[in-house]
Amino acid sequence: MATAESDSRLIERVGHGDRDAFDQLYRRFARPVLAMAVRQLGDNGRAEDAAQETFAAVWRSARSYRSERGSASAWLYAVARHAIIDRARQKREQPAEIPDEASDSAGPAERAEESWLAWRVHSALEQMPERERVVIELAYWSGLSQTEIASYLDVPLGTVKTRTRTGLTRLAGLLDEVQE
Amino acid sequence: MTDFRDLVGDDLGPDELAELERVDRLLRSVPAPPPEVPASLDRAVDRIGTERRLWTRRRLVVAVALAATLAALFFGVGRWTGGSGIDYRSSVPLRATSSAQGATGQIRIADRDPSTGNQGLELTVTGLPKLSGGDYYVLWLAKDGKYAGTCGTFNVGAGTTTVDMTVSYRLSDYDAWVISQPKDGAPWLLSART
Repeated sequence: MATAESDSRLIERVGHGDRDAFDQLYRRFARPVLAMAVRQLGDNGRAEDAAQETFAAVWRSARSYRSERGSASAWLYAVARHAIIDRARQKREQPAEIPDEASDSAGPAERAEESWLAWRVHSALEQMPERERVVIELAYWSGLSQTEIASYLDVPLGTVKTRTRTGLTRLAGLLDEVQE
Repeated sequence: MTDFRDLVGDDLGPDELAELERVDRLLRSVPAPPPEVPASLDRAVDRIGTERRLWTRRRLVVAVALAATLAALFFGVGRWTGGSGIDYRSSVPLRATSSAQGATGQIRIADRDPSTGNQGLELTVTGLPKLSGGDYYVLWLAKDGKYAGTCGTFNVGAGTTTVDMTVSYRLSDYDAWVISQPKDGAPWLLSART
C-alpha cells in the first residue's frame, strides 16, 4: 500500500525546487492556511492573498527548514502566521481572531493556543481519505443528522456510521499528541 | 450537532471510547474549516515558482492602475505633441487558435534602439475574452515549438485593445509570437514569423 510522504520530506523536496512536492504540500495545507487567514483577517480576499503569500514563502524558504528544530507542521504554521500578520499590518491593524464561542474572553496566549489547535485539527482532516473527511465535516459542522448526511451523500445510513467511526479512529491516530 | 454516542454507537471498549471522545472534544472545540479552496487561489499558487515576481491581487491592481495612469499620461502627451514619435518598421499578423476562435491580432515592431538594444512593440488584439479573477494574457516569443521568452502581460477590455511593450531579445533568434494564458498554457494567438 502506498504511504503518504511525510510533511518534512515534502518540504525538503520543495527546498530542492521540486514542484510536485510543492503541489502535494499545497493540497495538504491549503485549507488549514486559508482557515487560519480567514479567522484572523476576517476578509476572504485578504485571506486569499495571505494564503498565496504563505505558499510563496514556503517555496522561497523551504531550503531553510531543519527537521531537527521542530515539526514540519509547526514550521508551516509559523510561515502562515507571519504571512497573515504581514497582511494585517498592511492595513495598519492587528490581526484579530474572530472569536468562537469558547474564546470570548480568551487572552492572547489562549487565542494563540486555540489557533494552533485549529491548525492541527484542520491539517489532520486534510490527511484523511476524502470519503471519511466529508462525513466528519458534515457531522460536526453542518448541523445535519446522520440520517440527513446519508440522504445528502446518497449512501446508506450504515455507511455514514461506519465512515464516521473509522474517520474518528483515524483522526485519533493523526492527533495522537494533541490534547484539547 | 449530533451527540457523540449517536455518532459512534455504544459497542466500543473503554480505551477506544476514551480515544474517540478525546477526538470528539477536539473537533467540537475548533471552528469549521473553509468549505473549499477557491479556484483563484489554486491558480495563483500554481504560478508560484514560474515567475520571478509574485503578483498578488493587490499588486496586480496597483500595477494595472499604474499602467493605466502611465498610458493615459503618454497618450495625452502624444496627442499634445502630435504623435508617439515611434516609427514601426514592420507588422506581424497573429492568427487565432481553436482556443480563441474569432480573435485577431497584430504586432507592430519599431526599430531597435542601438544605444540600449531595446525594441518597441505595439500589440493590438481584438476578440479575446476578458479574463476575471486576476488572470491575464502573456505575450511570448517561441522557438522550436516552445515558449522561449516572455515579453509582457496584459488584459483586454471590450472590442480592441492596444498595448505598448518593449523587448530586448534579438527577434531573429525566435520563430513566432504567441499569446497564451497562464491558466492552461495553451496558445490563443500566434504568428507565422517574428
